[in-house]
Amino acid sequence: MATGERVHPNYVAVWGWLVALLIVGVGSASLPFPKAASLVVIFGAAVAKALLVAANYMHLRFEPRLIYAIAIAPIVLFVSLTLLLVPDIVFGH
Amino acid sequence: MGEAIGMEARAVSDIPTGKVGMWWFLASEIMVFGGLMGCYVLLRLASAGWAETAAHVSLPLASVNTLVLLTSSLTMVLAFAAVEQRDRRGARLFLSLTVLLGLTFLGIKAYEYSTELAKGFTPLAGLFWSFYYAMTGLHALHVLGGVSVNFMLLLMALGGRLWPNVQHRVELAGLYWHFVDIVWIFLFPLIYMT
Repeated sequence: MATGERVHPNYVAVWGWLVALLIVGVGSASLPFPKAASLVVIFGAAVAKALLVAANYMHLRFEPRLIYAIAIAPIVLFVSLTLLLVPDIVFGH
Repeated sequence: MGEAIGMEARAVSDIPTGKVGMWWFLASEIMVFGGLMGCYVLLRLASAGWAETAAHVSLPLASVNTLVLLTSSLTMVLAFAAVEQRDRRGARLFLSLTVLLGLTFLGIKAYEYSTELAKGFTPLAGLFWSFYYAMTGLHALHVLGGVSVNFMLLLMALGGRLWPNVQHRVELAGLYWHFVDIVWIFLFPLIYMT
């Protein structure tokens, strides 16, 4: 994509969402919520923040598929590696 | 197109070579940090007592640091937008803010470390603390590297004679800086909120 034709997201609005998600995550950790629900909220907010930064600040949503492939491949690798080790490390004791 | 922001479209895929190279580099960094975080998660699930140990880290300080880093991502991308619009003043302003916020993050981190070390929580104090210093220390080194690069870009932007060299490099430096931010976005809940 020609850089001069890039459509810029509203960067300040994205920052507002990031701050809101930060408050949600910290609030969930600080308030007496059930542990499982709290973890879902905390890490859900983290994933949402990461996607907002990647898509809008790194302009990933405007990039071609090759860039997506380069970015996603290592994530799939390390998540798979971690999950494959769970039976041995977590339950193997 | 290429001279619009000084970027050469030297690439088989029509993507500028520098951008592909930076994404390859970030992919390798994802493996480094992903591996560390994966090990942390596995050992934490397998060991008892980490939650009590982790209670000694400072959630308020880390929350402020997270806000600092998120804001620095905003200023970095605004610097890039200013470069695209040939707004030299804006580029200098936002690059300056990004450098300052990066230094603020490092300052807060240094204060955290000094407080924890003073209490006897050294890297040898236990498995949690080993991971804590390894992950946050490695991240802090990456922040320091990013601050150094951004500072050099700021100097280049301040020197009008060097302006043509700044433009595409701000985008590539921005990709690195946002990646460092994303790593912290995951480190923060892993260490401070669980």
